[in-house]
Amino acid sequence: MSKKEKTPGRGKWALIYTGAFILSFAASAIFKMTYDPTHGKYKADWSDSVGTVYTDISYGKGEANKFDLYVPADNSKESYGLVVYLHAGGFATGDKADDKEMLQWLCSLGYVSAGINYTLFNDDHPDASVYSQSMEINEAMPYVVDEAKKLGYNVDRMAVSGGSAGGCLALIYGLRDADTSPIPVKMIFEAVGPAAFYHEDWTNYGLDQNSEAAAGLFTTMAGTEITMDMIENHSYTEQVRPISADMWVNENSVPIVCAYGEQDKICPFASSTRLVEQLEKYNIPHDYYILSHSGHGLQNDSKLSAQYMDKVTEYLDKYMG
Amino acid sequence: MSLKKKRIITLIIVILIAAVLGRLAVRFVMNMMLGGTLFGGDFL
Repeated sequence: MSKKEKTPGRGKWALIYTGAFILSFAASAIFKMTYDPTHGKYKADWSDSVGTVYTDISYGKGEANKFDLYVPADNSKESYGLVVYLHAGGFATGDKADDKEMLQWLCSLGYVSAGINYTLFNDDHPDASVYSQSMEINEAMPYVVDEAKKLGYNVDRMAVSGGSAGGCLALIYGLRDADTSPIPVKMIFEAVGPAAFYHEDWTNYGLDQNSEAAAGLFTTMAGTEITMDMIENHSYTEQVRPISADMWVNENSVPIVCAYGEQDKICPFASSTRLVEQLEKYNIPHDYYILSHSGHGLQNDSKLSAQYMDKVTEYLDKYMG
Repeated sequence: MSLKKKRIITLIIVILIAAVLGRLAVRFVMNMMLGGTLFGGDFL
């Protein structure tokens, strides 16, 4: 008897195994990419009965100076809380529309929510910096409040929030600019936003080892010249102060809930510890989530990610009413 | 055990291994881009 006769249909089964492997691999990968561990808890089933969105409302002369305003369908309340959520994108990409789900969810809770665009650092805007972006956010706030009031929503308190670059800008506004806000800032929530600019913390970019690189990156981010000498003698801290949230914490700072990935390759984790040290020093109410297995996407600690969002909801209830 | 039964068991094993590898591949790419540990945290 030949070998072929011993295993009839061998070629057909090899094909079946191969096909099954490819299909199972692809299905599992797609499932992993699209799975929501919160099971839609932080998504709104958006419709006219939940709220209305007004898009691309201008707040300045720049092409990017626009915001979207989400207002709840229930317009019968005497006053409303405003929640501003600032988009991610490494200060160089991104758009307020990226946070549509978050803004819709916030609106579904009864808040007026706003996503604000800012001039991104790119070839068309090589002078844009974290500082110029923070000033644009500052400039936008009175327009956001006025527009909400024009639409009949008397906003009288606000939370500022965001993710990554948006988290950084939220911290800057909430800690540096809260005193100039048209309505009182009550709290901040943010994830993975750079909170401090000390070159020795920015190890992922090699800034702890390379003063020239540190001077270059911090010059771009701060929007003011920082030299290698300044890096080496640590005098650059005054130059980065306007964009360093940790340096603006004081006894009057607002409560903060934040989440960071300990393995983050984009936002240095150490920058978050600088912020938390200051929050502890001044006894500012805060909740700090360290996702020890995750990076910038907070992707490997689903339970803690969900706890962070639960805490955000708790803070909103407590401080925004 | 019949040959057909053996083949079905092998097929199930192939499907399970592929499913694990598919999830690990996504996790690996995400960790490469964003940082993270491959086996720490929520396994897979």
